Amino acid sequence: MLPRRLISSLFLLVSALTACAPAAPSVSNTPPAGQASIGGKLVVYSGRSEPLIRPVIDAFKAQNPRIEVLLKAGSNSELANALIEERANPQADLFITTEVFTVQSLAQQGVFKSYRPAGADRLPAGSIGPDNSWVGLSRRARVIMYNTDLVANAELPKSIFDLTDPKWKGKIAAAGSTNGSTQAQIATMRQLLGDTETEKWLRGLLANKVIFFGGHTDVRKAVGTGEFALGLVNHYYYHLQVAEGSKVGIIYPDQGEGQVGVITNATAAGVVKGAPNAEAAQALMDFLVSEQGQNLFAAQNYEYPLLPGVALRQGVQPLDAFRLAKVDVASVARETKATFDLIEKVGLP
Amino acid sequence: MKRGNSLILPAWLSRRFDAHPVRRPARLPLPVPLAGVAGLVALFVAIPVVYIFLRAAGADLDDWQRLLQARIWSLLGNTLLLVAAVTGGALVIGVSMAWLTERTDLPGRKVLRWMFAMPLAIPAYIGGIVHLALLRPRGGLLPQMLESLFGQPVLTPSPLGFLGAAFILTLFTFPYVYLLSAAAFRSQHASLEEAARTLGCKSWQAVLFVTLPALRPGLLAGALLVALDILAEYGTVALLRYETFSSAIFVQLSGRYDRSAASVLSGVLVALAMIILWTELRVQGQARFTQMDGSWRPAPLTALGRWRFPMLTLALSVVFASLLVPVGVLLAWSVVALLDPQTLQEVVRTGSRGFLSFALNSLWTSALAALVAVTLSLPVAVFSVRHPSRISRFVARFCQVGYAIPGVVIALSLVLLVNRAAPVLYGTPFVVVIAYVLRHMPQAVRASEAALNQLSPALEEAARISGRTALQAFRQVTLPLILPGLLAGGALVFLTSLKELPATLLLRPAGFDTLAVRVWVWAADGFDAQAAPAALLLVLASATPLFFLLRREQLFK
Repeated sequence: MLPRRLISSLFLLVSALTACAPAAPSVSNTPPAGQASIGGKLVVYSGRSEPLIRPVIDAFKAQNPRIEVLLKAGSNSELANALIEERANPQADLFITTEVFTVQSLAQQGVFKSYRPAGADRLPAGSIGPDNSWVGLSRRARVIMYNTDLVANAELPKSIFDLTDPKWKGKIAAAGSTNGSTQAQIATMRQLLGDTETEKWLRGLLANKVIFFGGHTDVRKAVGTGEFALGLVNHYYYHLQVAEGSKVGIIYPDQGEGQVGVITNATAAGVVKGAPNAEAAQALMDFLVSEQGQNLFAAQNYEYPLLPGVALRQGVQPLDAFRLAKVDVASVARETKATFDLIEKVGLP
Repeated sequence: MKRGNSLILPAWLSRRFDAHPVRRPARLPLPVPLAGVAGLVALFVAIPVVYIFLRAAGADLDDWQRLLQARIWSLLGNTLLLVAAVTGGALVIGVSMAWLTERTDLPGRKVLRWMFAMPLAIPAYIGGIVHLALLRPRGGLLPQMLESLFGQPVLTPSPLGFLGAAFILTLFTFPYVYLLSAAAFRSQHASLEEAARTLGCKSWQAVLFVTLPALRPGLLAGALLVALDILAEYGTVALLRYETFSSAIFVQLSGRYDRSAASVLSGVLVALAMIILWTELRVQGQARFTQMDGSWRPAPLTALGRWRFPMLTLALSVVFASLLVPVGVLLAWSVVALLDPQTLQEVVRTGSRGFLSFALNSLWTSALAALVAVTLSLPVAVFSVRHPSRISRFVARFCQVGYAIPGVVIALSLVLLVNRAAPVLYGTPFVVVIAYVLRHMPQAVRASEAALNQLSPALEEAARISGRTALQAFRQVTLPLILPGLLAGGALVFLTSLKELPATLLLRPAGFDTLAVRVWVWAADGFDAQAAPAALLLVLASATPLFFLLRREQLFK
């Protein structure tokens, strides 16, 4: 068994090398004809956790049985680091993130090839990166979820700044600093409110003994079972927890006059420059922004699809109803280092 | 020559079981090719350490300043506190349980010996996952059960934070100390305690002031190995949310763009580990005991009397928490997972290629690592055992350095090094194998040295006199005779590679999962039942070589 595995891995290695050898794939704006004929290995780096991206990839595989999708899920920045280090020796074909700042800053460093997926014209303005370097996939809102057994309606927080109120001390859970959505929220707040206010807020959270988990699944489960009263999450984690039968509620914060509004962000994807199998990556990209792909994001994950006309999952409140925070993606992305410095400075776990 | 030199125990301890000390080889001129190969192996092992130190030293002064201002000191405090607590806890539990099974008439002590050793097959993070699911405040199974029983929340101890991490890590590292002290208790001369008793000591005084001090060097070596283990631990502390150097480096690596901070933290961590390792090597070197002579007889058993029942309860509660609970819960979860069609489907085909593929991945990477590590350890062992000199001892000691490089640090240095020096290897599972080899080389070297030490050089000399070259003599005479010892060394490397988590997490290529990675990813997303079959398989796969290794020990014969 062992030698055969070895030989097959060696063979894999060799074939991977020879696959790299032909000249760089050409930049094309049209989707390749005859999708079903595309095959080979497609390496996807995903900052989105596996359970959330799997249904979409499975549906894609069903359509393209000859493509073998190899998924590496991790944190956005871990994979972004890898992509930067691999520029001379690209391993991945497609990168999917939980927020747009990472893809934008990678685009600024020339990690992506430009590709405009089929149907991109139907996406709203601002959901495609400069030079078609990346494409937005789905939108999500940063909300507060709460355990209805533990929090009475009257005392519900209305703003993310209420989370620093000492009355919530030890009762809040959130995702830690390696989480892309948390990083993106901090980056957004820096732009909206400035460094000082953001730092004050973060220090307030730390002083309030907010517990930081590795990811949001832990947060939603902990709020669902009543280990914590409040959780700072993306909106769909609330819906996923409701689906498990927990008594939880959702708050779209900061809706008052003069408040910043709900912070939203988009998941995004980019085709890697020099990708060993750019053709398959582009096919997957096409699929992700197609009606079918968008519908999966909405129906399976309760997310807001970017493609107009795709229905929301029942129970998800349309974003039009809310005051939304306005962010300039390009300028936030240029501030990545400052964001990480702030995270480091306050010592966010 | 004698079969059954111990590997889990340090070589000096097992050597005492030999009735006939092996003759030291005659001084020979330095064999240049052998020295060269052994030197190359040491160089290979040294690369990641040297590289990390260079990176740390070359980091921006700003980074150093920023980290020195706050981060490093609190991490140092946290890390040392945990190391001290777990080492202390492991010593107390390990030594007391060893005393109970070796020196008292505790009922069932033969079975208990196995029960105390088997938690070595359970990676601490898997134990942590189970205990967390059971005890988590409010959300855990136990608090929920109590709440429904009494109609209101009942306060239960939390497995999170410092106390939780110390508790879990103690439960799964005490077997090291247990094995060491049990073997030492067993081989100790009866006359020691008898002399103390004659001089008027009470029985407990004899144990405390005579028996234990005599065991000190062995215990210290064991404790230091536990300390090194805790320094390198990532999974458990991350799971239980207690920040140490290892977990902070992991956060830096997976959560930031900046790798110099990670390098600085790694440099400090490795320096810390080196100090511990150096102490361990010194203690090992000093621990020379007299050989057993003909008058040796085992120390008499202490009758526990009315303490029998309380002591048995104590021993069983340790077994319960460290073995029965994790295995029982994993079994129950696995049944749940296999009965639920949806979960079963996830288990069988999650990841890029499904359950079978990551089980095989675990096996072949660990097996290949074992093969490579043992092969590389041979020239080092032959050089140091057959040609003892300051150079050869230095080379052999240098190969111990893997103990002091935690998985996260190996991952960091390999990511940076391989991509520059050997891009062909980058993004292949072989990087993972290299990490295992580097990290577990010390076990292989110790095992090969122990095996060679058992074999009289006279046999090789005879082969040389009858016309064989050195290489032929080695291949035809030495190798077949030390093969059991080498196999055991390989089993040890295999066992520890199977459990390795952080380096695998950081270095695995896309679509390449191992059992350890799968368990971790699933459990991190809260899918405990889904993770259980993989965890159970991992425990079984580790238990098999462990069983084989333990059977070689005098204790378990």
